[in-house]
Amino acid sequence: MPSNFLFRIHPTSGVPIYRQLMDQVQAHVHAGRLPLDEMLPSVRQIAEELQINPMTVSKAYSLLERDGLIERVRGQGMRVKAAPKGLLPVKDRREKILPLLEQVAAKAFQLGLTRDQVIAALTPLFKERGAD
Amino acid sequence: MSETVVEARGVTKRFKDKTVLDQLDFSLQRGSVTGLLGKNGTGKTTLLKCVLGLQTPQSGTITVLGEDSRTLSGTAKARLAYVPQEVSLYPWMRIRQVVAYTAAFYPRWNAVLIERVMKDWEINPDDKIGPLSTGQLQKLGILLALGHEPELLVLDEPVASLDPAARRQFLATLLEIALTGDRTVLLSTHITSDLERVADRVAILRNGKIDYTDELAALKDSVKRLRINAPSGLPSNLKSLPGIVKCEADGKTAVLSLRGFEPDLPARLARDWNAEISVEDLNLEEIFLEMYAD
Repeated sequence: MPSNFLFRIHPTSGVPIYRQLMDQVQAHVHAGRLPLDEMLPSVRQIAEELQINPMTVSKAYSLLERDGLIERVRGQGMRVKAAPKGLLPVKDRREKILPLLEQVAAKAFQLGLTRDQVIAALTPLFKERGAD
Repeated sequence: MSETVVEARGVTKRFKDKTVLDQLDFSLQRGSVTGLLGKNGTGKTTLLKCVLGLQTPQSGTITVLGEDSRTLSGTAKARLAYVPQEVSLYPWMRIRQVVAYTAAFYPRWNAVLIERVMKDWEINPDDKIGPLSTGQLQKLGILLALGHEPELLVLDEPVASLDPAARRQFLATLLEIALTGDRTVLLSTHITSDLERVADRVAILRNGKIDYTDELAALKDSVKRLRINAPSGLPSNLKSLPGIVKCEADGKTAVLSLRGFEPDLPARLARDWNAEISVEDLNLEEIFLEMYAD
């Protein structure tokens, strides 16, 4: 798959390019556009096609590998390893959402909303996504 | 695997009573593409020239490819290349001739590469040097610096006179060099948008010193702008918080730019100050302006 099709890079965005790549790989995996065992374009291919520094691409791949989303196949490159569910241990996933929740708690406190009121507001949002 | 290609220690360079470089430390690792940033007149060109031994600092040491930059051997010189801001070549020569003339200085010359780059960059070997525009001269200067496949390529404002298409071609060539993994590029520039694609590191020159150097991505991760709204009031000592580079505050609201940002900082501040905080990512140009606008 050409990397121009997979990725859309904005070099002058405030988001570092390696994070743009990471976010987009994650999004493709979640949406099923990059299925399990699919090979990702090589570092060289991405660097050439998107005209970005190869180290930037390596960095994105290494971090995705660390997160367990992709794995290195000797002599072949990177392959999609995990379906998004079970991507990270619950503890790590909880850590990721904590900053947002702290903001929610702070805002709720400012507005004088109780914990139960916030949970009540949150519940239908989960239902919309088919989860309880 | 990381080998130091350039190492500058305590470098001071004065012109009469004006100190341009002041006890400056700087190093370059093999395989990196480093953008040297700094406002006009901060000494970018002077630093590049000192690195190459074209100017001699009053004190300090610079080691390039393992040798003292003041006494570089022919062998070391054959392993590096420099393209000055303004390229000057013999006006009566044709491009083909100046290429052959340059090639004759080097034990190794990649003629195939040069032919290809000339085609890619739409440089006609039959053209005479004299009537070339500044931009065309700059392209030619870069071309001539590539032939001996230098391990260290130093470019002073390489894209300043290039049109967008030529800049893109230049960047593609630079990336090709980066892809080899063992060649090192140092370029000064004020066109930060080009840098964001190709550079993996930045070094910012200010007050005669390297004020900041790190991975470009780390700089973007580190410098953020926070918009803060705290109905119950903000502390008065906002400006003295660690890492603040710019602060506009009026008691209840503030716009802060800071370095050393951590992902948990907004939540922490939101809790401490009972505030609503939004985080803005900044691109290189914005970061540069935030940090050095004064």
